[in-house]
Amino acid sequence: MSAVDGGARRRRTGRPAVHALDVAVLAWLVVPVLPLLVWGAASRWSAPAVLPQDWGWDGWRSAYDGGLVPALARSTVLGLAVAAVATPLGAMAGRALGWRELRHPAPVALVLLAPVVLPPFSVAMGLDVLLLRTGLPGPVAVVLLLVVLALPYTSYTMRAAYAGIDPELEEQARTLGATPRQARRRATLPAVRLGLLTAAGLAFLVGWSDYVVTLLVGGGRLVTAPVLVGATAAGSGNEAAVAALSISSVLPLVLALVAGAALQRRREERA
Amino acid sequence: MRRPVLAVHLLLATGVLATACAAPSAGPAAAPEQSWETIVAEAEGQTVDLWMYGGDERGNAYVDDVLAPAAAELGVTLRRVPVADTKDALRRMLAEKAAGETDGDVDLVWVNGDNFATGKQAEAWLCGWSDRLPHMANVAEDDALVREDFGTPVDGCEAPWHKAQFTFAYDAAEVTDPPGTFTELLEWVEANPGRFTYPAPPDFTGSVFLRQALYAVAGGAEAVPTSFDQDAFDELAPELYRTLRDLEPHLWREGRTYPRDSAALERLYADGEVDMTMTYGPATLTELVEDGTFPATTEVLTLEEGTVGNASFLGIPATAGDAEGAMVVADLALSPEQQAAKADPGVWGQFTVLDTGLLDADDRARFEQLPASDVVPPYDVLSRGADPELSSDWVGPLDDGWRREVLGSGS
Repeated sequence: MSAVDGGARRRRTGRPAVHALDVAVLAWLVVPVLPLLVWGAASRWSAPAVLPQDWGWDGWRSAYDGGLVPALARSTVLGLAVAAVATPLGAMAGRALGWRELRHPAPVALVLLAPVVLPPFSVAMGLDVLLLRTGLPGPVAVVLLLVVLALPYTSYTMRAAYAGIDPELEEQARTLGATPRQARRRATLPAVRLGLLTAAGLAFLVGWSDYVVTLLVGGGRLVTAPVLVGATAAGSGNEAAVAALSISSVLPLVLALVAGAALQRRREERA
Repeated sequence: MRRPVLAVHLLLATGVLATACAAPSAGPAAAPEQSWETIVAEAEGQTVDLWMYGGDERGNAYVDDVLAPAAAELGVTLRRVPVADTKDALRRMLAEKAAGETDGDVDLVWVNGDNFATGKQAEAWLCGWSDRLPHMANVAEDDALVREDFGTPVDGCEAPWHKAQFTFAYDAAEVTDPPGTFTELLEWVEANPGRFTYPAPPDFTGSVFLRQALYAVAGGAEAVPTSFDQDAFDELAPELYRTLRDLEPHLWREGRTYPRDSAALERLYADGEVDMTMTYGPATLTELVEDGTFPATTEVLTLEEGTVGNASFLGIPATAGDAEGAMVVADLALSPEQQAAKADPGVWGQFTVLDTGLLDADDRARFEQLPASDVVPPYDVLSRGADPELSSDWVGPLDDGWRREVLGSGS
């Protein structure tokens, strides 16, 4: 949305300074990733050489041997599980906050923000003993805890989404004869569809990228991609394998983003 | 109207739960007295989760491709959990212990030193089992390296796995006249400014460099009491820190900064920014040279007075859910077949904890037939005049002192 606005403004003014800033921001984001991409196709690359001395796919082979494929599958399942729980919860919270349905919104807003304020490490360390005592299976406890960490993102995204539409919408659907359930499903939810997608995406990322909670609370049952990356990166001479692991954990997300953006553009063009 | 109270309820509920749960009673965990046959029978069908540092590709491959299939033949499924740091395994064990867990997810841990001592202090290890392993018969009774782990008595709480020797390596293409003693090494550093550095303690490798330097300034390992002694510390530490402070301007980047960990130092060496590196796992050198990470001209620096050596172990947490399976794996890992396979530089190159003199001729032959590494000399050469490790009580004060006196001196 904002990218489109920015593009329109830039076209009007056309100042070169803005372009320079764009390029700088882009470079800031992309340049650190370049060595990773090169390492993904290198088997030996030591300074001061600008490019690798030996090219090859060794890193991919050792990443595969180290369990890359099952790790990616576990990450996917974990991300989906977190998104499946955190998105509806976030939608409920976001609706109440965005439509000002609470008498005292401030404490609720604060509680919902708390997990972002606390580092995940301290959350994991504080709750691991407790979750163990509940006797919950490790993977369930991981999802529960990651949902708490994902809630700020989903509820604040949904708050913005609900704030952007008029509560009257649902009332109108009701007066046209819809049940409360129908009104929510057919009128409100489609209107916040983009918000729901964004919230689910963010919640997915929380599960997809977590290391501490997955390992300590999960009790090693869930060797996900980040756990594998962390363990591999702790050693020497593993740059190629780490690059292969990192690229395979980032690439699906980039592709999903591009696909999502393309889909959105098509839908807007059709509208 | 629906209100977003669910999350709040969830948070409140966990709070109530936290206060409602009483701490379980603690006590030393001794393995039940069972015959080995019973243990083997109970182990069948168990899945053993081995938590180990995952940054060593060869170690991972050995466990996955050699040890795990052999365990499967005994009816035990071995699952490797890779961690960035053994402390992650310890955290999980301690949490399980605090929660009174009896079917824990950590069954076996590759451990030694500080992590072992911490776990023992917390009574988090299962004890009194490793002496009963059948293959312990081939470990020398009087081998101090496997009876004590950094000064902490093993007491049957962990089974030896392999030995390691602190090792300096250098690029022979750059260092034409390699030093032969630690003092000569310091002189070499001064004569070749910017070509040497060491990882900042409390990094594991930086920390052992500190202890090696302490032995040197004290005039030998025997001059430093093994268990921590404040008087000895007060007498020896100032000299150690003065030596390292004097060394600082001659280090890489004039000692304004130190490599964060051994991986960072090894990167500097691989990139040719320094001419020497050091490791407590010389087994990795063979592969690093082979795959071209390290220059082909890398050689091991042997010091006349010897270097610090240690052993690493397999420990079983008191909370392990599959302790019998873990014992069977620990015993298997001690078998001459596995120890010889693991010692092969083409497999992992880890030095055996067995006394080959106690083996029968066939098993001894397994070790005699091992191919030699192009880089790393055999253990008996590397460990010549080996110094014992100091007690892990020394490690904290030495590392803290280094931060204060050397890193914080701002010279």
